[in-house]
Amino acid sequence: MNESQTSNEPQLECRGVSKVLDSGGRPLTVLDGIDLAIAPGELVAILGPSGSGKSTLLGLMAGLDRPTSGSVRLGGRALEALSEDELARLRRRRVGFVFQSFQLLANLTARENVLLPLELCGVPDARARAEATLAEVGLAERVHHYPSQLSGGEQQRVALARAFAPGPDLLLADEPTGNLDAETGARILALLLDMRARSGTTLVLVTHDPQVASRADREVHLAGGRIVRDERREVPA
Amino acid sequence: MKASAVLASIAREIRAARGRLVFFAGCLAIGVAAVVGVSALVAAVESSLRAESRDLLAADVRVSARRPLPDELVDFFAEIPHERTNVTELAAMASSGGDDSRLVELKVVDGAYPFYGELVLDPPSSTANLAADEAWLAPDALGGLRLAVGDSVSIGGVDFRVAAAVIDEPDRLDFALSLGPRVFLSADGFARTNLTGTRNRVQHRALYRLEGDRTHDELEELEDGIRDAVPDPSWLRISTHTEAQPTVRRALGRVEDYLGLVALLSLLLGGIGVSQIVRAWLAGRTQAVGVMRCLGFRAREIAALYLGNIAVLALLGCLIGGVLGALLPFAVRALAPDLFQGTGGALLQPWAVVRGVGLGLLVAVAFCLPPLTAVWRVPPATVLRAEAVPLPAPRVVRFGAPVLLGLGVLLSARAQGGEWLHAAIFSGGLLVLTLLLWGGARLAITVSARLPRGRLGPTLHHGLAALARPNQGTTGAVVALGLGVMVVLSMLLVERELGRALRDALPEDAPSVFLVDVQRDQWEGVRSALEDEGALSIDGVPVVMARLRAIGGETVEEVMHRRRSERGRGSRSGWALTREQRLTWQAELPRGNTLVAGTLWSDPERKEVSLEEGYAEELGVTVGDSLAFDVQGVPVELLVTSLRSVDWASFAINFFLLVEPGVLEEAPHMRLAAARLEPPEAEVTLQNRIARDYPNVTLLRIRPILEKLAAVLDRIALGVRALGSFTIATGLVILSGAIGATALRRSREAALLKTLGITRAGVMRLFAVEYSLIGLAAGLVGAAGALVLANAFLEYVLELETEVPLTALPLAALATAAMAAASGLAASQRALQTRPLETLRG
Repeated sequence: MNESQTSNEPQLECRGVSKVLDSGGRPLTVLDGIDLAIAPGELVAILGPSGSGKSTLLGLMAGLDRPTSGSVRLGGRALEALSEDELARLRRRRVGFVFQSFQLLANLTARENVLLPLELCGVPDARARAEATLAEVGLAERVHHYPSQLSGGEQQRVALARAFAPGPDLLLADEPTGNLDAETGARILALLLDMRARSGTTLVLVTHDPQVASRADREVHLAGGRIVRDERREVPA
Repeated sequence: MKASAVLASIAREIRAARGRLVFFAGCLAIGVAAVVGVSALVAAVESSLRAESRDLLAADVRVSARRPLPDELVDFFAEIPHERTNVTELAAMASSGGDDSRLVELKVVDGAYPFYGELVLDPPSSTANLAADEAWLAPDALGGLRLAVGDSVSIGGVDFRVAAAVIDEPDRLDFALSLGPRVFLSADGFARTNLTGTRNRVQHRALYRLEGDRTHDELEELEDGIRDAVPDPSWLRISTHTEAQPTVRRALGRVEDYLGLVALLSLLLGGIGVSQIVRAWLAGRTQAVGVMRCLGFRAREIAALYLGNIAVLALLGCLIGGVLGALLPFAVRALAPDLFQGTGGALLQPWAVVRGVGLGLLVAVAFCLPPLTAVWRVPPATVLRAEAVPLPAPRVVRFGAPVLLGLGVLLSARAQGGEWLHAAIFSGGLLVLTLLLWGGARLAITVSARLPRGRLGPTLHHGLAALARPNQGTTGAVVALGLGVMVVLSMLLVERELGRALRDALPEDAPSVFLVDVQRDQWEGVRSALEDEGALSIDGVPVVMARLRAIGGETVEEVMHRRRSERGRGSRSGWALTREQRLTWQAELPRGNTLVAGTLWSDPERKEVSLEEGYAEELGVTVGDSLAFDVQGVPVELLVTSLRSVDWASFAINFFLLVEPGVLEEAPHMRLAAARLEPPEAEVTLQNRIARDYPNVTLLRIRPILEKLAAVLDRIALGVRALGSFTIATGLVILSGAIGATALRRSREAALLKTLGITRAGVMRLFAVEYSLIGLAAGLVGAAGALVLANAFLEYVLELETEVPLTALPLAALATAAMAAASGLAASQRALQTRPLETLRG
């Protein structure tokens, strides 16, 4: 995984990325000339008020959406040159997601939700690995429950397990604690950082919570679709 | 992905949307049940009708000739399990002990006659009991000879005892050939007479009963086989039971065509239902599709997953439908046993079930492809932003899905209809209609978006707005509903017109008696006798007997010799060339005749003749050819100046050869008369009077045949009604279901509206308006399509001259609107009753 790149080459790189949406016939610039390079293993928090383009940037980084102009390179490959199918293949192997609203498949049990990306990658011991990862997030007893039978915190644990189980190079988290109460949120964040630390995955975390951001190596502040501040911390929390 | 993983995800998906998927399977089950049930019913009804028409021939196949039948027939039939009986018909003089004598038509039979139908005798008996010294005489022969049962009659120089009166014989439909009243003799009895050497006017017949229930096509094949097997087939006249009666034959042909349409359209209905449910299902799975794409599933993998789901469910639905369809004929038999009279009981048709299930699967897969393209349009970014802009589906998907759907329709039309050309026309028509519906829907959406809504009041305002709202699938809903309306309404219109045609197939004034051999000086008397008995629609035409001598200068012998040498399968003209020709004259085109070539009596210089088109084909002549006749010793040359098609089903007196007035009036001739007598008892009175006053005249009562035909036609009409109603009911259920499926995803909107303070009744009104508008648009375009389809089918396939009522258009549009509103509301009931918060929380 990480070995495939040299450490001085960025894992993820945005060059002059802009995104213009059509808003009722008028163009709306959501992102405007973003330049950003993220090194392998880095933990980056993206901050900014709502509407500043955080989630849009995250979507572009994963190839979920295409920039209006500029280039996004993931592991050295320019995403805009790839077809939808190639993007999908790239995501299944290298990118994991955690969302604010969990985005579990309601018709699948906890284990099946974790199993899905593993099966997709053709992991040989998928079932055992799914169960092990669920045990890791403390849900060994709840593998057969459906999302609707789980609390918000538990659902986000399932989402963490699903994201980490295939061992992605890059994990993108969109306000992972935004829908949780403070105490649960703190526990989920701790779990996320712990799992990242053990796997060495690059993590990009979108948040508007300075508390959350303070745990990152680096803070990137967005406002009005531009990067207004990019700070590195010497010692991560 | 591994196959096991695919199967596992299919299982999960099915588990998740159980309710809707049960509905999906149910929808297909109904469609397949219709297909299977209809084909089983068709087979049962057809076989029942075949049994009926067999009676009219008394056999499956009859081979006749005016010379002894060739021995090759025996060889040909050696390989085919059958029974054969020989019948000889000839004219002879019969006399009583006194001075009375008259020409009669002998029918020499053995114990096996008739194979089908009933020979009614008074006192009852059967051919096996007809002794060598006994004869059976028709009542008019008894009357003419002043005889009674038990008396003695002399035929061919030998005395016979009259053992019974012949009341009805099953195959006495060829009355036009009749020379006199019927007399039955046994073969042994005939051997005693001095008539065995007679050559003139002898008709040799072999009647065959075959094993099994052969269809029209199989019998035609057999007929061709016979022609190939004998050295000179042009002498033979081969009749099969399926062509025994033109009225039944035509009715049956129409019903076959109609039922083909029924089965095809019911499949189509199933497809429309499937398409709508898949559309609604996927609309509810947008988020899940987004998550899967985000996790790295390629669109085609997700589509394959859903297709797998659909295939599994479709198989389930089709199997259930197959079982239901197989049971349907049993249920119908219990309700309407009349429909199955005389069938061999083959109600279960495994092949029909297999075919139905296969077609159901084909249709399910073909029709789910277009809505399945939605998977490609779901943007993965939808997980981040619900309103993310949909992606364009790749071109191969966008165009491939409709093309495959078209191919699926073409294939199923071919499988149901039997001909590529018809299947192509049908599919092409459907394509045009779909495009029209699509255009109509777009137009309705554009119009409703542009209408100034301010003054319309909030309810109508919202309804129009909902119709015009982007990405609501309004176009798809209108197209699907419109196609459904077209199907159901066409069925309704065609069924109605076909039912009417079947009722009218037997004219009210169809003659019930024919009088043969009325001499010139007897006509006035016979006519007044008919009038005295209250006869209706009296028709009397002169008949001149003649022989054909030459065609365009070539003698008949030369023609036959030439045709024999270039003999192919088409050489069937022997009987037409050599038979005794019956000519008549008339100034105007007889009723039920239509000119198909030339003009009637158009050449003042020449003596003209008009030919029935089929007969002209048998003779191998057309307009402009000349025919030389020998009219009882006098040569007459006639020019063919027109060809006619004749409606033989009208039962009116019709002739192959119609001659210009002024040519034959002086030739020796007799009259053939027909009339309708009511009540039936009047026929007996008339019969006695004719027998007394005009002993040479033969009176034929065809009322029993008319009644038999009426019963058959009634049964066909009942079948048509039953099947038509079934399909229409099925269609309505599926259409309501399809609308319901669309309505299910509206629960969130209902909740939102209620949160905003609109009462439940208010929300219902809003929905009702929206669904009514969709129904109105679909109903209008669909009904227009139905009028075109029904008209084309009635005119070109069923060849019925009818006009479908234009009032159907607004009525169907309103009815569709009402139905759409009702089913939309019914499906929204749960959403309407749930408290808003529950829905909004998800």
